[in-house]
Amino acid sequence: MSNKPVYDREHHVKKATGIGDPQCFAGEATPARFKVGDQVRVRDLPDLFYTRTQTYLRGTECTVSALVYESPAAEDEAWDNTDKAEWFYSLVFKQSDLWSDYPKTFGGDTLETELPERWLESA
Amino acid sequence: MSDDHKHAPMVDEVSEFEILEIAVRELAIEKGLFTQEDHNAWTEYMHTLGPLPAARLVAKAWLDPEFKKLAVEDGVKASLEVGIDWIKTMPTQFGTPSDYCSFRVMEDTPTLKHVVVCTLCSCYPRPILGQSPEWYRTPNYRRRLVRWPRQVLSEFGLQLSEDVEVRVVDSNQKSRFTVLPVRPEGTEGWTEDQLTEIVTRDCLIGVALPKPGKTANDPRPIRKALKPYNH
Amino acid sequence: MTLINPEKIALDEEMHARDLENSPINLLEEIRRDGSHWEDLASKWGVDNPDPPWKIWLEATCEVLADKNCALPALERRWEEDDLSEELYKDVPFPERQLLALAHSMIRRGLIDEKELATRKKVVEKRLHMVDQIT
Repeated sequence: MSNKPVYDREHHVKKATGIGDPQCFAGEATPARFKVGDQVRVRDLPDLFYTRTQTYLRGTECTVSALVYESPAAEDEAWDNTDKAEWFYSLVFKQSDLWSDYPKTFGGDTLETELPERWLESA
Repeated sequence: MSDDHKHAPMVDEVSEFEILEIAVRELAIEKGLFTQEDHNAWTEYMHTLGPLPAARLVAKAWLDPEFKKLAVEDGVKASLEVGIDWIKTMPTQFGTPSDYCSFRVMEDTPTLKHVVVCTLCSCYPRPILGQSPEWYRTPNYRRRLVRWPRQVLSEFGLQLSEDVEVRVVDSNQKSRFTVLPVRPEGTEGWTEDQLTEIVTRDCLIGVALPKPGKTANDPRPIRKALKPYNH
Repeated sequence: MTLINPEKIALDEEMHARDLENSPINLLEEIRRDGSHWEDLASKWGVDNPDPPWKIWLEATCEVLADKNCALPALERRWEEDDLSEELYKDVPFPERQLLALAHSMIRRGLIDEKELATRKKVVEKRLHMVDQIT
């Protein structure tokens, strides 16, 4: 037992208990690159192992509606790499930008979802 | 019981593990490590989480503009007012298992209607809404709501005119969402308790609109027995 | 960087130094060897619940042990469960593994005694099989 490599398996619970997740990452992100109202585009990055960025959003323009919290991105957190937090943004898309055949009658319909900063570029 | 009656499948066999679980629990109670009441309370808590706190949150927001502002800005803080502590609630003290502590209340207006889905799995604000309905977890709902929201909503009996913007909220990261619908007409002068009753679970997900007279406590349909037995 | 509460770091150091006695316990070894796992029982009986019905009670037991009297703090139990799961109970699926680890921790900590657990197990087993004798 004493020869085993020491790995702290409960570091997340120690960090988040009584504080909350994502609250426990507050103040850890690099300064936000975007602000509310900015036009951005979802990048089409490779997602070899794990992602929570929906395929149907890739390459689409959207508007930043809020900076919601700081957290490691799912791509890193899935592998327990939690030392690099970044800003998460709430984004509003026009349905007609997501689906080319979306009915024109309902051209005002929208979709809102959240993404970490690495998935966004200025439009 | 007739022979052709089909039983629901069950494991009709007692395993060593099942016995061990009971033995450990009984000894712990006998030694005073915890009480039977504590054990029951925890088990029941996990099974009976429901949408009532979120319904009350909506009713409070309808009655108090300041509270509405708080709910929209900081859902976690507003939840405290209805007895839900996202951060310190059992069992993990940072949300129930696999839940996070970012809770967003999406405010509808007469021209904006939110509806919530999780396309990637079935994220749901369990601490304040309880367990998600079965249909919320189906590929049918998850795949189609983002693509054909009006079609799916009309399958729930909700048809919205073209001057209403339908906004699908795809819950894909650490935030959990609920909908703050528009307070319906015909509820003027109602109390918080009365308003809470009409905010059903479906209204909080966004697939229905609250209306006076339609409550979660509506009488259930009763079917007469085919072969009544006279006592 | 991940900031960890210093109190919790102290606990970690203490746990490493404590060196949980993780040698096999006869009673639990028998269960590990002979007990049927839920996944096998479920497929044998055509049931599709992913979890055994007793899982919720096991979870409740773990939670209330860490509550009020705090007979077994959650972090310490998890630490020991992780440790036992790596070696002694590594071939046992979850949640059976969690149950064995819990019983192991409780015995090694002196919260319950191996012999009295064995006796109680027999009593419970008899109770659960009583229905077979009357039908």
